[in-house]
Amino acid sequence: MNNIEITIPKTLQEALELISGGNEGIGIIAGGTDVVAGMRQGSNRFGGINQLVDVNHIKEMKGITGAGGIVTIGAAETFSGIISNKIIRKELPLLAKACGTIGSVQIRNRATIAGNFVNNAPCADTVPVLLAYDSTIEIKSLAGKRELPLAEFLKAPYRTQLNSDEIVTSIKVPLPKGDFKGDFYKLGRRRAVAISRITLALLIEIKESRINRLRIASGAVTPIGTRFNGIEKEFEGKTADEKTLKAIASRLGERVIEVTGLRWSSEYKLPVVQQICYQMLYSAVYGGGK
Amino acid sequence: MINLKFKLNGEKVSVKTEAGVRLIDLLRNNFGLTGTKEGCGVGECGACTVLMNKKAVNSCLVLAGQLAGASIETIESLAEGEMLHPLQRNFLEHGAVQCGYCTPGMILSAYALLDENPSPDEEEIKEAIAGNLCRCTGYKQIMDSIKATADELNSKNK
Amino acid sequence: MKKNFSVVGRPVIREDGFEKVTGSAKFADDLKIEGMLYTAMLRIPETHAKINSIDFSAIEGSQYLTAICTRNDIAGIKKIGVIKNDQPVFCGDKVVTPGDVIAMLAGESEEELHKLIGKIKVDYTPLPVLTDPLKALDENALLINEEAGTNLIVHHPLRKGDVEKGFAQSDFVIERKYTTQLIEHAYIEPESVTAIPMGVSRGIKIIGSIQNPFTTRRIVAAVLNMPLSKVRIEQSHLGGSFGGKDDTMCMLSARAAVAALKTGRPVKIRYTREDSILESYKRHPYIMNYKAGFSKNGKINAMKIDIIADGGAYVSMSPFVTWRTVVQATGPYLIENVHTDVRAVHTNNPYTGAMRGFGSPQPIFAQESLMDEIASMLNLSPVEIRRINGLKAGDKTATGQTLQNHDVNLLTVLETAVEKSDFTNKWKDNRENKKILFEPDFSNPVLKDNDFIRPEDSIKRGIGLSVSLRGCSLGGEGIDAAAAYLSLQSDGTIYLNCGLAENGQGLKTTFSIIAAEVLGTTAENIYYLELNTGITPDSGPTVASRSTLMGGGAVKNAAEIIKQRLIPLIKSEWKLGDEEEIEFAGNKVSASGKELTTFPGLCRLAYSRGICLAAIGWYKSPDVHWNEENGQGDAYFTYVYGCQVAEVRVNIVTGEIYVDRVTAVHDAGKIINKLGAEGQVYGGVTQGVGYGVFEEVTHENGLIRELNFDTYTIPTSKDIGEIIPVFVEGDDANGAWGAKSLGEPTLELASAAIANAVYNAVGTRLYNLPLNLEEVMLGKKLRPVNNKRGSLA
Ligand SMILES: Cc1cc2nc3c(=O)[nH]c(=O)nc-3n(C[C@H](O)[C@H](O)[C@H](O)COP(=O)(O)OP(=O)(O)OC[C@H]3O[C@@H](n4cnc5c(N)ncnc54)[C@H](O)[C@@H]3O)c2cc1C
Ligand code: FES
Ligand code: FES
Repeated sequence: MNNIEITIPKTLQEALELISGGNEGIGIIAGGTDVVAGMRQGSNRFGGINQLVDVNHIKEMKGITGAGGIVTIGAAETFSGIISNKIIRKELPLLAKACGTIGSVQIRNRATIAGNFVNNAPCADTVPVLLAYDSTIEIKSLAGKRELPLAEFLKAPYRTQLNSDEIVTSIKVPLPKGDFKGDFYKLGRRRAVAISRITLALLIEIKESRINRLRIASGAVTPIGTRFNGIEKEFEGKTADEKTLKAIASRLGERVIEVTGLRWSSEYKLPVVQQICYQMLYSAVYGGGK
Repeated sequence: MINLKFKLNGEKVSVKTEAGVRLIDLLRNNFGLTGTKEGCGVGECGACTVLMNKKAVNSCLVLAGQLAGASIETIESLAEGEMLHPLQRNFLEHGAVQCGYCTPGMILSAYALLDENPSPDEEEIKEAIAGNLCRCTGYKQIMDSIKATADELNSKNK
Repeated sequence: MKKNFSVVGRPVIREDGFEKVTGSAKFADDLKIEGMLYTAMLRIPETHAKINSIDFSAIEGSQYLTAICTRNDIAGIKKIGVIKNDQPVFCGDKVVTPGDVIAMLAGESEEELHKLIGKIKVDYTPLPVLTDPLKALDENALLINEEAGTNLIVHHPLRKGDVEKGFAQSDFVIERKYTTQLIEHAYIEPESVTAIPMGVSRGIKIIGSIQNPFTTRRIVAAVLNMPLSKVRIEQSHLGGSFGGKDDTMCMLSARAAVAALKTGRPVKIRYTREDSILESYKRHPYIMNYKAGFSKNGKINAMKIDIIADGGAYVSMSPFVTWRTVVQATGPYLIENVHTDVRAVHTNNPYTGAMRGFGSPQPIFAQESLMDEIASMLNLSPVEIRRINGLKAGDKTATGQTLQNHDVNLLTVLETAVEKSDFTNKWKDNRENKKILFEPDFSNPVLKDNDFIRPEDSIKRGIGLSVSLRGCSLGGEGIDAAAAYLSLQSDGTIYLNCGLAENGQGLKTTFSIIAAEVLGTTAENIYYLELNTGITPDSGPTVASRSTLMGGGAVKNAAEIIKQRLIPLIKSEWKLGDEEEIEFAGNKVSASGKELTTFPGLCRLAYSRGICLAAIGWYKSPDVHWNEENGQGDAYFTYVYGCQVAEVRVNIVTGEIYVDRVTAVHDAGKIINKLGAEGQVYGGVTQGVGYGVFEEVTHENGLIRELNFDTYTIPTSKDIGEIIPVFVEGDDANGAWGAKSLGEPTLELASAAIANAVYNAVGTRLYNLPLNLEEVMLGKKLRPVNNKRGSLA
């Protein structure tokens, strides 16, 4: 790994030119918390890399701005940067919370948001939240730019739609319109620097005692972060009573079995994810709880 | 090989190195700064913590080629000769050091915390050092030292 | 007994502290020598295999390769061990566990060496694998060590009274099975050692993260076929050990030494975390069957215990670890009839050896869980059952030893802990508000309406306790003596050195305090010399929490020898009568309250009068007696007592356990170094909580899954609540002013206290450590089906 070449482009244009040559061994590095750790552990995802393009100094990929009801987060923004941002803390509290649970201070000072979902580990903590917020991402290459929903971008564990000549430049999160309540939940084997065993992001809007809008997304219990549109549709319009909340949670259990199949860990995770889902709904609807 | 220029412990330095060398190796091997320790190499233990542009980072996850222009501070920069930094002194006075292997990283994490938040509460202190594993002390005396330092610095600044 | 201490028991800053906070302390891997070579190990990804041939031809002649070391390079013994020589330095025809090393490459670039390793062709035939310790003694079991002819490493029987009669006299008899897991020491500094050839006449020098320099010296000398005096071991600052830098460091020192002699250059071995977890020994997993007979009034009449310890592929410390188990397996209780069998067996699993606690955390988990269960069957409180059965002065232990010559403070630590933690009230409250765990039924994975639990109902509090007695020092395990060297300089500063090793526990500080106390000076005046087998007398291993007791005794003896030389000088110099009391305190020397001179002044005087100001102190433990056949005898010459109370919250839908508070009450004898003692408690309890709640090394067919700290999780600052250390200083005739042991007692109690607290909270008994999410919810462990990192976990 020592004799890798590293370039630090100052502009996006420069970076795009660097990766446009069709060089198989070229990769992008942001915080490096997946790349460097993965290379050291001999992960085959980073095996053939002989050149890295560091995107941390590209202005276009940094910063957080809000306009027209959309918050745009630079792809190379670190988790520390995101957590300390006022707009995010106020308008996208689930994202602030999820970013705050990632790794340690040292990791959050380096690790970036795009790195998290481009790496697309099953346990990537920002993914369920970004899915619940209906985020879209902007991708650029020399050929131009495309925008697509994150849900479409993520394909399979550790695999995305990203082509080798493309860079994710930003992520756009529309501010939820309406009176949403909700939370992000993470369960690990210990209380800090933990690989997620279960994550859930949940937003619910109640109007006149009915569920007006519902958004549920999971991580770590599904092969990749997954949004449950079917469940959402099914329950929108239903009375927001305990019975319904329980039914939503049970339905989530069923869907997780369909999506994931039964795995070694299901015996534990399946019942727990349903309980957690119910508890999050309950707290959102009735307040209180923890 | 690249010719790398960056700021190390307040001084401009330049060094010839491979770009893919980890910052921790650069510090230990090229600059003889062995106060920065390796415990895991994968960002989990924090023994390799240094300050990069004033923020705590794991030097095992930063590559030399990413450094250009950065300012790095290591444990060696804290004391002035025999004069310990209050954090260092408080670590000693509160029994926060046993084997000492986690200590440099721990002190730098605490340093970065106090830099950003001069009056941290207990939860904030715990959060700030959660990325620094210590197998010896159970963290209690470390947290006491950080609290004591914060109080001391705050009373001085009044 | 000295009553007024001037240095002992007060906060003193660590002797080696300055270097450690400034980053200048030299740990093993910080050493760099011109011309030094590095190494890489050749292993195969198999648990058990016959090696047919090794083909180095692809790397021979490589510019990056200085030497290939195999067993053919060894002049002396080819297998080593701290007790039995059964672990090959380099394997020849077989590997028996995945950490085994076949060959080692030496060269200038570690990175290049690792590439070369991949080019070596090893032709091997996988062999069947034995991973279940319960099958190790089956008649047709495969043999791990064929020469031994059996997989039995050791069997310790203990017979006292007549258990069958005891059961017959009992109103109730219960049988329970407990298991504990494999865990890793997880010292934050991985192993590192450098061997430096000193030329034919001078032998070899070894500098490294070595816990027991004298053991290492013996082994390296035997491997090199050199006299002991030609092998010099220097200990670097040790980045934690907890019993774990013994066998492995002997092994690495031997390999480095072989390579250094072969190449004529200094050779450094530095392990990554993965190497370390893969190859180093761990804590023994135990399978424990307990059968207890007791009367309605709570009196335990008989206990029958059968324990199997998984020793893994090598003997290591298993015989001694399990010996402590047999002595302490019934806990601190007076039981007339005891029948215990403890066996350690070989498997192909990672091998196990010494680790802080040393054969006690496992039986304590079992026996303290069992006591609580008996109490609840009889509707007694956890405190009452222990009051009824707890050992008192003059009582006989399971080994038939009468407890005497020290304060038998078991019930004192218990009552103190109960009072400090308000145990009884909390225990009753929790029991009344007990909530049942949500118990999933996997045949119906989708939850029904009334399965769901509201958020406010999901957290439940519990409180639990556990108690122990612990034999001090080595006991029947071996010769028990220690030496210290003390030398006063003419300006009143002092050199001090002891044959026991600083492993991070703060021993240098403790010893400095003891010497300062005797000589009436301050600990800051004492300059502690690094341990070097060339100048320090052999003091046996730094294990079994024996350093304060044994080394402290030796330091005190050395200081007293010198003091006895100084007193006649003072008397003649100041023309004092025989009856006058000479006092050494506050860096001054006085007679009957009148100051005569300063301590430096006295040193200057003594030096000018030609008085020898250096001495070697010696402390030998009182004799112990042990009968191997029936496990009867005086196992240890003295004991310490502890009680820990754990207060937890259990999340009844996720199975999470939060340890909010541990009140740790210990009688460790006199506390010499207060900050250090508290630090031992905080650290030991935290390790105990990790052991109790989530730490575990698992393996699939012997191949370890958790090879780094991403998956082997130890407690962070956020995983532990408040820890309250309380010391009860019992009197004891032994050691320095009765200072005994603390390092290990602090670790051994937490897991049982937590398990008992979980029962208090939710009414579910847990029998298998660790009490992780799945154990709490399902009463069992779930294992990934493959070892790939990042697989859907
Ligand atoms: C100790 C430790 C703890 C961790 N804890 C957590 C945790 O709690 N939760 C969690 O979710 N993750 C965790 N992680 C994983 C990791 O930190 C995150 O996934 C992080 O977001 C990755 O970001 P990065 O900037 O470091 O990515 P890098 O490692 O730099 O890159 C990761 C991948 O993304 C690609 N990439 C990065 N940026 C772009 C871009 N702009 N365009 C295109 N491709 C790009 C890279 O080529 C690479 O393939 C942890 C890692 C470590 C080492
Ligand atoms: S060595 Fe960098 S975090 Fe452990
Ligand atoms: S003092 Fe040893 S790891 Fe922290």
